[in-house]
Amino acid sequence: MTPEENISKLLRLKRYEQPPPGYFDDFLREFQSRQRAELIRRPLWELVWDRISMVAPAFQVPRLAYASIAALALAASALIIARPGPQTSGNLADNSRPMLSLTSPNPVTIGESLPVATTSTGSPSVHYVLPTRPVSYVSSRSF
Amino acid sequence: METPETPDDELVARTKAGEARAFDELVVRYSPRLYGLLYNMTSNHEDTNDLLQEVFAKAYRSIKGFQGKSSFYTWMHSISVNMAINFLKKRNRRMTMSLDDVDNGIINDPDFIEATSDHDPRHQANLGELQKKLNEAMMKLSHEHRAVVTMFDIQGMPHAEIAKILKISEGTVRSRLFYAHRQLQNYLQEFITN
Repeated sequence: MTPEENISKLLRLKRYEQPPPGYFDDFLREFQSRQRAELIRRPLWELVWDRISMVAPAFQVPRLAYASIAALALAASALIIARPGPQTSGNLADNSRPMLSLTSPNPVTIGESLPVATTSTGSPSVHYVLPTRPVSYVSSRSF
Repeated sequence: METPETPDDELVARTKAGEARAFDELVVRYSPRLYGLLYNMTSNHEDTNDLLQEVFAKAYRSIKGFQGKSSFYTWMHSISVNMAINFLKKRNRRMTMSLDDVDNGIINDPDFIEATSDHDPRHQANLGELQKKLNEAMMKLSHEHRAVVTMFDIQGMPHAEIAKILKISEGTVRSRLFYAHRQLQNYLQEFITN
């Protein structure tokens, strides 16, 4: 017998090393209780995700689609969070001008306060005033 | 309870569908074999028990990702070996092991006594010492060499299967075995009969 074979033979003796009788029955019970304990400790988002994963395959949607939807949702959330709020200083917040608001108690007068375009020559601003009489769409020509 | 003939694939499919009892059947089926693998990697019953629990827990969590490209048997062995190697790397194992740590009833096991009966009587008188030496010798091997020796010599797995589990070539398996055996010969010289 070669030394190699001798070593293999010696090592085969280790096959007889077994845990105490009944160990594997207890092992299964321990595994089950650990699983249950782990389930209780799991965070809510993991449970929700698991639920979604269970239901999602029934929709027959390609897996990539979920990733795209998730990425879009993430991007939209980031945009909403990153959007600047109402500014309190600077040109946009010129409080001297009346704000156009549906709830404003005062009527908005066109021609007095709203800005209008000026000519390129720098002449004084032209105000367009709405006529007091309504324009008639009835033809003025009579036959 | 499932019949033993239920194929692994069917149990895996049922587990994926949410039937926890199907996975219990896989636990019952594979725990003795994986116990042997982990025990011979760690040489400690408590570590083996904890590791085996973690192996099955990990397998249960990742079973939806198991696509059946390899057999469930190979997949479970891969998880076990990787987890055992990571465990051993993280923790510096104490090399001093009492016989009680190694095994409790083996010395009185008739199969074990019969298996060692063709050895020199001088050595039969101290089977406990042999067992201790064997474990010490195994623990002196690198984790990777120990894994190969465990699967080939102790568990009787073919080279090809070991190669698949470890994701290495068969040549590497043979090479690791060769060097591991040579190292073990030096450690166990006194127990080797010529």
